[in-house]
Amino acid sequence: MEIIETREKDISIFKLNGRLDSNTSPSLEKQLAGAMEDGAKNMVIDFADLDYISSAGLRIILKTTKDLRRTEGNIVLCAMQDYVKEVFEIAGFDSFLPIVSTLDDALGKLQP
Amino acid sequence: MACCKTSFKLKNTTAELDKLCRNLEQFGNTLGLTKKCIFQINLALDEIFTNIVSYGYQDGDNHWIKVAITHENGTVVIRIEDSGVAFDPDSVEDPDTIDDIDCCPVGGLGIHLIKKLMDEIVYERCGEKNVLTLKKNIAVH
Repeated sequence: MEIIETREKDISIFKLNGRLDSNTSPSLEKQLAGAMEDGAKNMVIDFADLDYISSAGLRIILKTTKDLRRTEGNIVLCAMQDYVKEVFEIAGFDSFLPIVSTLDDALGKLQP
Repeated sequence: MACCKTSFKLKNTTAELDKLCRNLEQFGNTLGLTKKCIFQINLALDEIFTNIVSYGYQDGDNHWIKVAITHENGTVVIRIEDSGVAFDPDSVEDPDTIDDIDCCPVGGLGIHLIKKLMDEIVYERCGEKNVLTLKKNIAVH
């Protein structure tokens, strides 16, 4: 999996490309934790090019969300394929995680 | 729809997840399954396989996990056989609702996904082996 990190004002954007499973989730965990250590508070995870996610990937998203809340940060997920979104819904994550259709919607949510 | 089958063996390491995915995609594409359907079967298989790799063996040795997939009359049947410690997915408590970030069950999440994505799950302990059969009806999807 490839992770492309960019910034838009004070928002860190992570674009995921490929498959997020128990092999690749440690690298995402490391990168998100590194960004938080560097002071990132507002994050967008862009799922447009993510083909696959397993519970290992969901756990990283959950952990990051909890960690960000402790620092009063925010996370928004965007541009999921419908079957990826369905996994978030089955897991119940959509009840506490904002999931929006496009990257622009995600950025809009974080910079009103 | 045609009858079709495939089988393969995986070593007990998560590095084999790529092989699992390749085999499954090949099978799914031959059958003309939708991307969504292949994804859901991949996810269920991944969760079971990763569980076996993580908790099935404590001896540090190499082991084989056998996977057989068949399709007949609109149902995909996946059979996973391993010789690890006994594990019945039904013994994992199913969360009723997950609507609070703080009580989100991190442990049983994979099993929860399998139960929701598959139509039938049958576990058998055959001698020293776990045999798990997952069924997914694809005619209606």
